[in-house]
Amino acid sequence: MYGLQAITAHNGWAMAFAGALIVFSGLVVLSFIISQLHKVLLLFEKKPVDFQNDLERPDIEPPEDKLGLSLPKQFPADIREIARLYKPLVEALGETFCLSELYEILRKNDFPHPHITLTALRESEILIPDGDGVFTWNPPTENDDNEKVEG
Amino acid sequence: MELFFQFVSNTGFYLADYRNVIMIVVGSLFLYLGTAKHYEPLLLIPIGFGILVGNVPFFKGFGLGIYESNSVLHYLYFGVVTGLYPSIVFLGLGAMTDFSSLLARPVLMLLGAAAQMGIFFTLLGALALGFLPKEAGSIAIIGGADGPTSIFLTAKLAPHLIGPIAIAAYSYMALIPVIQPPIMRLLTTRKERLIRMPELREVSKKERVIFPAVGVLLCCFLAPASIPLLGMFFFGNFLKECGAADRLAQTARTAIIDTATILLGLTVGASTQGDVFLTGKSVCIFLLGAVAFSIATASGVIFAKIMNLVLKEKINPLLGAAGVSAVPGSAREVHLVGQSEDPENYLLMHAMACNSSGVIGSAICAGILWSFMVGL
Repeated sequence: MYGLQAITAHNGWAMAFAGALIVFSGLVVLSFIISQLHKVLLLFEKKPVDFQNDLERPDIEPPEDKLGLSLPKQFPADIREIARLYKPLVEALGETFCLSELYEILRKNDFPHPHITLTALRESEILIPDGDGVFTWNPPTENDDNEKVEG
Repeated sequence: MELFFQFVSNTGFYLADYRNVIMIVVGSLFLYLGTAKHYEPLLLIPIGFGILVGNVPFFKGFGLGIYESNSVLHYLYFGVVTGLYPSIVFLGLGAMTDFSSLLARPVLMLLGAAAQMGIFFTLLGALALGFLPKEAGSIAIIGGADGPTSIFLTAKLAPHLIGPIAIAAYSYMALIPVIQPPIMRLLTTRKERLIRMPELREVSKKERVIFPAVGVLLCCFLAPASIPLLGMFFFGNFLKECGAADRLAQTARTAIIDTATILLGLTVGASTQGDVFLTGKSVCIFLLGAVAFSIATASGVIFAKIMNLVLKEKINPLLGAAGVSAVPGSAREVHLVGQSEDPENYLLMHAMACNSSGVIGSAICAGILWSFMVGL
């Protein structure tokens, strides 16, 4: 038996439709549950935190780690432009620094895609590994710009 | 002299027929693709070598071939026909998988569900071509693009088709860079391919620890037949995320999965003995596999476009192609196609979310098909 007749004879339409429906609804329910998971966890965590806050609430709010940098609305795509934006942060860390420290500062200051940008900076040899997880900053020079233009 | 002729008549050179030669060429092609082109080398190299081993002609009755009950290869093949190796591979996969991106953007799970439609379309196609329901179910699961799941379901429903189905499933997984990009480009506009995805939120450790427990309960309550796959998968993930059993997680994602992959690949390859493998059915299975995989890719992309009609924050429809469970091949391909349009567009993490939900989706489908076919 072949064709539509075979599909009907073996209950194929019902199996395909029910199968698709079951897998779809299963994953929809799972995605709904995981979308609410962090909210539920927050509810559980909130109570003890509030209680603790009542006991130990400091009079003064702790200072934020933000450096008050004004980020451009459109983040530049050019790696040299990005390096210019990163420069003040790196200078604040000193001549050599851990990548994790820089990453943490970027994250706290809402820099977009910090992980990817750090990888790009490493690939462009602007971030130079100094061994043992320590890095140095090798800012792009004007010559680099000229070479790029000539190239 | 008689002894010499007797020896010669027992050699592979004398016993070989054209089907063995064809399969040896196929095995060599797999080895070439895996070694020189780096197409899924961890799969294609063991399978390719297994094809060479399985197609050395031998004197029947010596207990040498994989289908002879007292041979070494037959004992190793036991792990395939019982579904043991796929379960172990799933344990290792779970211990490797990071669900953070999926937890950060749960809506992407729907793309993993949409890409499973290839399975059910192919089920209809296989039935229409005259395959029996159990065979059709085994062929359809190729659309999930998940080798271990395909082998597991075929072992349960149609063990005589394990060879062609496994080879088809793994071949299409390896051919992702050839099959998926044209479909993705065909079904999307440049504007859609340029859509950038927002940075994912940070996911807490608690969420990552709770997810495998919630996942296993929900999925296995829904489709209990998927316990051997999803039970092991989520268990592996729990080992990884709980932080209290790092040694076990480390072993699961290295030594255990590697051992299972080697034995699975080699024995599946060896099961493709020319005289058993080269049949009209195998050719049909290959064709249906290609259709299944293409429909799965297309359904994911089309569903992403449909979602964009209702979502405020648009998603890049290329991500739909990563809804098949070929981890991480299809996610990588989505990322590369996205970058070919815009080098600053990073889709990899989002694509991994779809990819990992595809693994869950195809295992649920396997469980559903198995339970549908039990009474047939």
